[in-house]
Amino acid sequence: MLEVQDLRKRFGDKVALDGVGFAVRPGEMFGFVGANGAGKTTTMRIVMGVLDADSGEVRLDGKPLTYDSRRRFGYMPEERGLYQKMKVAEQVEYFGRLHGLGRAAARDAAGELIERLGISGRRDDAVETLSLGNQQRVQLAVALVHSPSVLVLDEPFSGLDPIAVDALADVLKDRCSSGVPVVFSSHQLELVEQLCDSVGIISGGRMVASGPVDELRDTEGRTLLKVVVRGASPGWADGLTGEVTTDGDRQVLLIESGDDQEILRSAVNAGEVEHFGRQRPTLAEIFREAVA
Amino acid sequence: MNGLWLVAGREIRTRIRTKGFLISLALSGLLVVALAFVPKLLSGQDAYEVAVVGAVPVAAADVTYTKYADEAGARKAVTDGDVDAALIDDQRVVSKGELDQRLGLLLESAHREGKIKASGLVITPLSVETGATAQYQSVRTGIATLLVMVLFFLLIYSAMYVAMGVVEEKGSRIVEILLAAVRPWQLLGGKIVGLGLLGLVNLAVVIGGGLIAATATGLAGDFPPGMAGIVISTVVWFVLGYAFFSVLAAAFGSLVSRQEEVNSVLTPMTMTMTITYLVAYFAAVEPEGTLARVLSLVPPFSSMVMPVRTAAADVPIAEIVLSAALMVVATVAVLLAGARVYNRAVVRTGARVKLAEVLR
Repeated sequence: MLEVQDLRKRFGDKVALDGVGFAVRPGEMFGFVGANGAGKTTTMRIVMGVLDADSGEVRLDGKPLTYDSRRRFGYMPEERGLYQKMKVAEQVEYFGRLHGLGRAAARDAAGELIERLGISGRRDDAVETLSLGNQQRVQLAVALVHSPSVLVLDEPFSGLDPIAVDALADVLKDRCSSGVPVVFSSHQLELVEQLCDSVGIISGGRMVASGPVDELRDTEGRTLLKVVVRGASPGWADGLTGEVTTDGDRQVLLIESGDDQEILRSAVNAGEVEHFGRQRPTLAEIFREAVA
Repeated sequence: MNGLWLVAGREIRTRIRTKGFLISLALSGLLVVALAFVPKLLSGQDAYEVAVVGAVPVAAADVTYTKYADEAGARKAVTDGDVDAALIDDQRVVSKGELDQRLGLLLESAHREGKIKASGLVITPLSVETGATAQYQSVRTGIATLLVMVLFFLLIYSAMYVAMGVVEEKGSRIVEILLAAVRPWQLLGGKIVGLGLLGLVNLAVVIGGGLIAATATGLAGDFPPGMAGIVISTVVWFVLGYAFFSVLAAAFGSLVSRQEEVNSVLTPMTMTMTITYLVAYFAAVEPEGTLARVLSLVPPFSSMVMPVRTAAADVPIAEIVLSAALMVVATVAVLLAGARVYNRAVVRTGARVKLAEVLR
């Protein structure tokens, strides 16, 4: 289990992190979301030891992180970095060796990942000749080549086409199901909702919500009542406090639940009720509300 | 240690595959070989053939006489270029163009010697005595001057590459993933060791090429005794100077994030190296001057001035040891401070990092 506890960090007068904490269990995929400048990258850089926190701690299986435990982490920084003139396979292999793999093991692991990520046709090309999307696949291969015990990925999906997103998501799910805690940050909230078991929302250097996605959808944000009525005359819901939108001959009412039966009666009187039910907030809605 | 060697290995593999490295290696090798041939080209002809008609004069060094039956035949040989000149009846000299100055002198002195001998007079040639140091002075100065250039270019070139490598890794942020796998000292040490080994290879090519060419041209015959000592001291001082300047280059380089900024951030270092170069150049000509003596003890100037002074003159062993000890101390100090700057600055991307900030 990877535990981030009460991290604090200032840059001069600016408070970047003001008590950030979360935990990721083995085999759990944790989505780290927040607006630009909220503190995601700073947190990840502290986890990786690139930055030192002013206070707070990061632990793995109860023990504070050391250089040797971090060495088995896989890391993809926000600003991608590769040796531009080095060949793809050679580069992935080199990082495998830096992380302590033997020559043959590094070569095998690099070959397998390159295959898996769909760039085997470019294995002997210099990185600089690859498209950005393919460079990102190489970046991921570099983060994964040593079969890391923890994965920390900063915006791994940004700038990828849907096929690359699928390939990357597959690889991540695979690693995750083998018991590796995975932390990744993203702006693509639907993707986070779809992939992650848990999410953490950070705003202004503080965690505003964190936990399993289902739980958050139940507890955070407002659960609204959604009513779809067909053929109703405009103004049928004037007496109600909700928001009405018109879609062809359908009228959609979103309202905070109150006297649900009363609302249903008004709807039945107004026209043909096509849908009546509670709607849990999406992650995007929770995010907007939490950050606002 | 393994991490350091992996990093060093990558530096070497990457660098030797570039055209720039191979070209500079070949050029520096060719340059010294060419220089070894210069004295031979400048000294001109060293053996002459002269056609003789009539009386054969007294033998002269480097001159071969060939007898011809008559003047016409001798003149034809001169015109055809078979001989360098013709001596007619020990009185007149015929040549095709302007008579070679040295040949003229040789023939003139042979002529005089013959006349003097005939008159029964005996002249003992002047005997010349020189000090041991003066004996090979011009050759030693030549070697020292060459050393200045080789050391300066190799040092500044290698240090530049270290700085550029540091900035490449910092600017591309690859340093963040590198430091997740290796410690800063392994990353920096590997880079310095790798590029340093290539610098040594280049130095070996220059020295080896120079020695082979000098042997081939016969120049080696004029080499002073203790040539091996000069070679060893050059290599040792190169290693010391490189350690000092490359750490400095890495520390300065880690302050900036873009290649365009490398030159300006390295200015204090390149200035120091240029001053060192100028002093060392001066020391090659005047190895016993006060400036040369003092600066051959003061690091980092000593890294170039001392080997040059050693080549140009006989330096007391105590001075060499003192100078080397001071340089080692200075290198260790730079290593400690430089590693500290590098550790702190290399992950701080964006605007140029102030030196005072990271040294605190």
